[in-house]
Amino acid sequence: MTETPRAFDLDRDGDRLVLALHGEWRLARLAALQAAFDALPPDALTRGAVCLDGRGLAGIDTAGALLLWRGVQAAGAAPEHCALEAFDPRHARILDLVRERLPQTGTRAPARRPNVLAQLGMQSEGLARLAVGHVAFLGLTLSEIARAVVRPSVLRRRELMAQFRQVCVNAIPVIVLVTFLIGTIIAYLLGLQAEQYGANIFVVDGVALGMVREFSPIIVATIVAGRSGAAFTAQLGTMRLTEETDAIRTLGLSPEQVLVVPRVLALVVSLPLLVFVGDLAGLLGAVVVSNLMLDITPATFVDRLHAALEARHYVIGLAKAPVFALFIAVIGCRMGVAVSRDTRSIGIHTTSTVVQSIVVVILLDALFAVLFQELDL
Amino acid sequence: MSAPPDDTREVVIDVDALVTRFGRQTVHDGLGFRIRRGELVALIGGSGSGKSVLLREIIGLQRPQAGTIRLLGTDVWSAGPEALQALRRRFGMMFQEGALFSSLDVAANVATPLREHADVPPALLDALVDLRLSLAGLAPDTGRKMPSELSGGMKKRAAIARALALEPEVLFLDEPTSGLDPITARAFDRLLRFLCHDLGITVLLVTHDLDTLLTIAERVIVLGGGRVIADGTLEEIITVDDAWVRAYFSGRATVPVDRQDAA
Repeated sequence: MTETPRAFDLDRDGDRLVLALHGEWRLARLAALQAAFDALPPDALTRGAVCLDGRGLAGIDTAGALLLWRGVQAAGAAPEHCALEAFDPRHARILDLVRERLPQTGTRAPARRPNVLAQLGMQSEGLARLAVGHVAFLGLTLSEIARAVVRPSVLRRRELMAQFRQVCVNAIPVIVLVTFLIGTIIAYLLGLQAEQYGANIFVVDGVALGMVREFSPIIVATIVAGRSGAAFTAQLGTMRLTEETDAIRTLGLSPEQVLVVPRVLALVVSLPLLVFVGDLAGLLGAVVVSNLMLDITPATFVDRLHAALEARHYVIGLAKAPVFALFIAVIGCRMGVAVSRDTRSIGIHTTSTVVQSIVVVILLDALFAVLFQELDL
Repeated sequence: MSAPPDDTREVVIDVDALVTRFGRQTVHDGLGFRIRRGELVALIGGSGSGKSVLLREIIGLQRPQAGTIRLLGTDVWSAGPEALQALRRRFGMMFQEGALFSSLDVAANVATPLREHADVPPALLDALVDLRLSLAGLAPDTGRKMPSELSGGMKKRAAIARALALEPEVLFLDEPTSGLDPITARAFDRLLRFLCHDLGITVLLVTHDLDTLLTIAERVIVLGGGRVIADGTLEEIITVDDAWVRAYFSGRATVPVDRQDAA
């Protein structure tokens, strides 16, 4: 590329102003070209008919042409009245082409950003719509489940089993790992305190009660929300994107019955089972720590467990699970169904599913805590 | 039968002895062709004849098992990362579904290559984006829309605008008119012809659209059985004695009036 120091020369020829272009007028040189025009006074091209001279022009592209015409405009001349002289026909064609399109450039309305109040309003309205949509979807799902109860033949057993395997069986390793670790942590922390008072044995009471009644249901529900709730949204969202849900409807089937009911039922059945697995793994973790650190043998641990852990704590822990599951599954499915038909929406909805599910699980758990307190359970 | 030997224009795409295999399946079996600057070439062939794969190999997305591909004088598969990066600024690619970035509006999509690879004065950037949209046949206000709000035809136009952003010397298009109604598709053909003739861009497109071929393609390359089974002007291709080519052009063996207008 031949770099000339000057982009152009401006000379007066009688009553004409001749703008002689030099070198390459291409994308790579835009900054230098712009600087040359910036150095020009704003009325440089106002006194006389403007003529462009292309003798020294080595090459031009549409970006260079656009810059030229805008520069000419900024210097006070009208591009449509400029004469072109001694241009290579190809260069002249590009200049003409861009000149024709000049009125369409730079006219785009700037993006409007709503102010804080408007954003707050929009967010609130969105949240309200979301909640209403969830309630409607919950109703729809329950009525579909009722239909499946009345006419068991409409239930998709194969899909139900596939989902059960996915959300329950395949989740067991991660649930065991996490709850085992939580069990060891609680036992360890309690043990540190209890040791000071020689009250080692009461670690069993603390771990058993905490694990079975609160930690296991919450931890397991959180894992399942991140694992299965997100998966539901991504699966159903992708199916909407590829029009699979529309195909199901066209074939005279109900997407709720084919896709949603199996997922909801599978999760509602799975979560109590997973919480049970979590209870066992958490207690096992506590047994290990108690044995190594607190001199409580496994046999002593189990003895104490019988005395300390009343059945009602265990039942309360398990009873919360299906309720958590129902909400996680309904949120996951509904967010998937609500995906709009673009790829970005799937990511947004999946994230939203996980956030909503976890918030709802914690809210429900707080509600249960108050409820059971009032009931003296 | 390919371009006349007296053609002195520079060769911009040179594919030689190309071999591509997927597992045991051989897609390309030593195929080769040359495309010169300013040509508008259509690549056709049956499903699975490796048209899109060939395109991906030419632009450096997928490595062939053997053979050489020279694009704008650079050997695509033996060039270093810097040479490849420099090469990428010199061609544009339009993917079949547009492949617009769904989190950016159309204007930001078109501005992305300009921001990344060119030193455009900030004041000029918006105007340049508008010019690209206008060259692709879109109104400036379309720039404010998100890709999900566009119709299929507009998506493809926006994708072309993005492919044109850096003033490419070569433009690759994968099925530019698939999924478009005939009227939009013909408008698209005119757009491609305009890009090739008025901006001097070399265009290589993969297509199934017979009307596109009949209207704008100056040269057609037919792939089949892993090789180039025919290469030449449409008139030459129609006379080729090959079952697939005959079936493809059956009943459409005459050049329509529209094409003669164009010539």
